[in-house]
Amino acid sequence: MKLKFQPEKCIGCHLCELACSGYKEGVFNPALARLQVSSKYKSYNLVNEARLCDRCLKCVDACTTGALKFDAAQLVLNGDECVNCGACFEACPTGVLRPGGQGFPLVCDGCRGDPYCVKWCPHGALLVEEAR
Amino acid sequence: MGGYQGLVLRVDLTNQKVTTERLNMEWAADYLGGKGLGMKYLYEEVGPGAGALAPENKLIFMTGPFTGTIVPCSGKLSIVTKSPASGTILDCSIGGSAAVEIKRAGYDAVIIEGKSDHPVYLLIEDDRVELREAKDYWGLGCHDTEEKFKQTYGDDYSVLSTGPAGENLVTFACITSDMYRQAGRGGVGAVMGSKMLKAVVVKGTGGVGAADIQKLMEVAHNAFKNDLLTDTNLWAYTDGTPMIVELSQTTGILPTNNFQQGNFDKFAGIKSESVTAARLAKKGCTSCGLGCGNFIKAGDVVVEGPEYETLSVAGSNCGIGDLGAIAKFNNYCDAYGLDSISTGGVIAFAMEMTEKGIHDFGIRFGDVEKYLELPGLIATRRGLGAELANGVKKLAETYGGREFAMQVKGLEFPGYDPRGSWGMGLAYATAPRGACHMSAWPVAEEAYGERDPFTIEGKAELVKDLQHYNAAKFSLILCDFWALSFDLMAEMLAALLGREITAGDLELAGERIFNLARLFNIREGMGAKDDVLPERIYSHPLPGGATMGKTLPEGEFKKMLAEYYSLRGWDENGRPTPEKLARLGLA
Repeated sequence: MKLKFQPEKCIGCHLCELACSGYKEGVFNPALARLQVSSKYKSYNLVNEARLCDRCLKCVDACTTGALKFDAAQLVLNGDECVNCGACFEACPTGVLRPGGQGFPLVCDGCRGDPYCVKWCPHGALLVEEAR
Repeated sequence: MGGYQGLVLRVDLTNQKVTTERLNMEWAADYLGGKGLGMKYLYEEVGPGAGALAPENKLIFMTGPFTGTIVPCSGKLSIVTKSPASGTILDCSIGGSAAVEIKRAGYDAVIIEGKSDHPVYLLIEDDRVELREAKDYWGLGCHDTEEKFKQTYGDDYSVLSTGPAGENLVTFACITSDMYRQAGRGGVGAVMGSKMLKAVVVKGTGGVGAADIQKLMEVAHNAFKNDLLTDTNLWAYTDGTPMIVELSQTTGILPTNNFQQGNFDKFAGIKSESVTAARLAKKGCTSCGLGCGNFIKAGDVVVEGPEYETLSVAGSNCGIGDLGAIAKFNNYCDAYGLDSISTGGVIAFAMEMTEKGIHDFGIRFGDVEKYLELPGLIATRRGLGAELANGVKKLAETYGGREFAMQVKGLEFPGYDPRGSWGMGLAYATAPRGACHMSAWPVAEEAYGERDPFTIEGKAELVKDLQHYNAAKFSLILCDFWALSFDLMAEMLAALLGREITAGDLELAGERIFNLARLFNIREGMGAKDDVLPERIYSHPLPGGATMGKTLPEGEFKKMLAEYYSLRGWDENGRPTPEKLARLGLA
């Protein structure tokens, strides 16, 4: 599956990020979310933007130890094999892949095809697209 | 610990010193957060007779236990101080993102005290907190201030700023954030200006915990789906507050020409369809699931707004029915840092004074050109603005027209005529900060609902209960536009804090908070003598529409007020009895 963002439907509530960090990290902190949404007035215009994992898998290709895998249609990190080398962050074309508190990549696993961010999006700005 | 960060940031502007201290958790248990906890700190720290614009007044930014969590509609920030407009206790709330940034930076509250001898701004980046020179920002409008700070620090910083009106101590100056969100009423911006604090610039990177996060998310998501995103609340998304224009017009309570009428012949220009037609996008606060904000383009102006209060008090009430003009006026008020309600009110008063020949302010109803000049003149106290900057109450004391000076305790009326919603009259008269629509909004059940609006029957109890409901809700803090039950609030709070909390606990906290605000005002020398309405409401019948011939007769008002005092456990002078105070833990 893949997430899709429709900026014209976003109201900038950040419930998606709060949900993601709450379910995945046990704390409400957008900095630990596996997606980033921004809704700001810039030069008297409202600009809505999102960074979402689009399953390009460049992070998997870049992973030096094989800790990051694409398995059963989802991204998986094996923390025991990750050496915090940072290659995956550099390879991520959108910058959505970020380190968490311990430096490991915060990998979007798509919540087994039923993402919490989408469930918490009030007006349909976030959608699930078809499987890759 | 869930909910609270447990830390207060205290900023002493006189000595340019920043310290932190533990949040008083006993007070937090009794007063929740936001409005209530801010009021408790103010009550304890700012004694009677303090000058609202003097260094001894404090400006308290208070978050709530839900701030920064996934609980929807919890993104607002309370700002509590003593009002320079009314001399009462004052709480305002502001939407946007600032509350969440303060909480994520690690603080439940920021308390500003003393007075700087030069313009400064407060920069908060987690535990790095500094007061910095603001001379390059002083004199700038709120929009320019925010743009400039964002160029310096980045788009992900939140800015709370005061504009030229606050710098010039206009007693209805507001505080602005996220460009178009305001803590509007009672002069919070003037208090900020008096302290020479231009802005608070804040970015937090931390998180907020919950005692039982799985449970909280389960309860909150169920509430989000089945209680928030329902027809009861979604008007805020589909229309936003402009929807109220038509309701007020048809029920005859739309303030028109300084409350001389309850209907406006040009109302089509300001009704919701007109705003929606001009809409570019919807916008909400952090954690909002509704998104009440309408970002519009009208003529050559882009603005988030105008809200109902601006469309009515600064629109129909000034005889203006052109959305483009009101949007421009709204934008000027936002930029100069003026409360558009009080600004509209004072202009409408000047218009009637001129038309009645009592005093010539040189402006008449519907005079768009002069109307659009006034926000700038008021904010900078130039020309006619120097007079109008004093507010309706002082203008009436100087020039007359007291019977139609539409204010209570020095705060100008919002957009609901109490002659067509008698409970609203009681709400205006007894709200701690003066004529206020946020303390209780009985109009939803009266003019807009099923109850007879032209009776005092049951209204004292209705207003009392709504005052407790809002006091608790705005302390947690939840947005006005989510009509949720005490039970649901309690269920979410219990999961957040990890202890048993009942609806009854919250209702009692609401009553405690409301009574504490009353005690503050009593300590300032106020009482029943101040719980009054302008003569127009008692004795000038409305001339047409659904409220044709209606007043709220003074005798009926007094009966309703006496019943209200009695239900509250207050004496005939409006003072809580010792038994009531003991029951609320306020003795």
